[in-house]
Amino acid sequence: FQNFASRLSCIIVCFPAPLASRCYSHGKVETDEEFDSRWVTYFSKPDIDAWELRKGMNTLIGYDLVPEPKILDSALKACRRLDDLASAIRILEAVKEKAGPHKDIYPYLIQELQPTLTELGISTPEELGIDR
Amino acid sequence: MSLPKPLMRGLLGKRLRFHLPIAFTLSVVAAIAFKYTVTEPRKKAYADFYKHYDAVKEFNSMREAGVFESVRPTGE
Repeated sequence: FQNFASRLSCIIVCFPAPLASRCYSHGKVETDEEFDSRWVTYFSKPDIDAWELRKGMNTLIGYDLVPEPKILDSALKACRRLDDLASAIRILEAVKEKAGPHKDIYPYLIQELQPTLTELGISTPEELGIDR
Repeated sequence: MSLPKPLMRGLLGKRLRFHLPIAFTLSVVAAIAFKYTVTEPRKKAYADFYKHYDAVKEFNSMREAGVFESVRPTGE
């Protein structure tokens, strides 16, 4: 119960909760930039394998945030290295879902990712008509 | 037209910080309301019924109605 109470007070107190924070009273809290670059590096591994891609995406989706365009860019390029178009499109669907009721996030992401999408030849779910 | 960068972090946390206290308060209010509109009147109704309840008189009228097996109505 103690754990729950402190966890609950964390949601209230940790403001604006840097999401990777576990509300330790000790320990450095990671900044947003550090978090982002950690994930960009993760997906930039040249010989990333399919498992690591899936694991990375699943972990990333579990956080209380919509991934930054640069993280998604790195992930999409990893999909390219793995010849995995399906996962690339699935990533786009996933971040749209992550945005939930905030309908301004997904169009912004597509705008920011457009160069990469064109370069890698990735169609969006909307272009494919599978977004219904 | 280039879209501005929206807020992308901590969206759920923000929503919970807003809605959980409200949800908690409303539940407590609902419980209190139920207590004073339902349970207290019920308890009072029972208390009022039994305040002037004559068990012996009730027993005798039931006996006369013939619903018991262990005692027959007076006069049989």
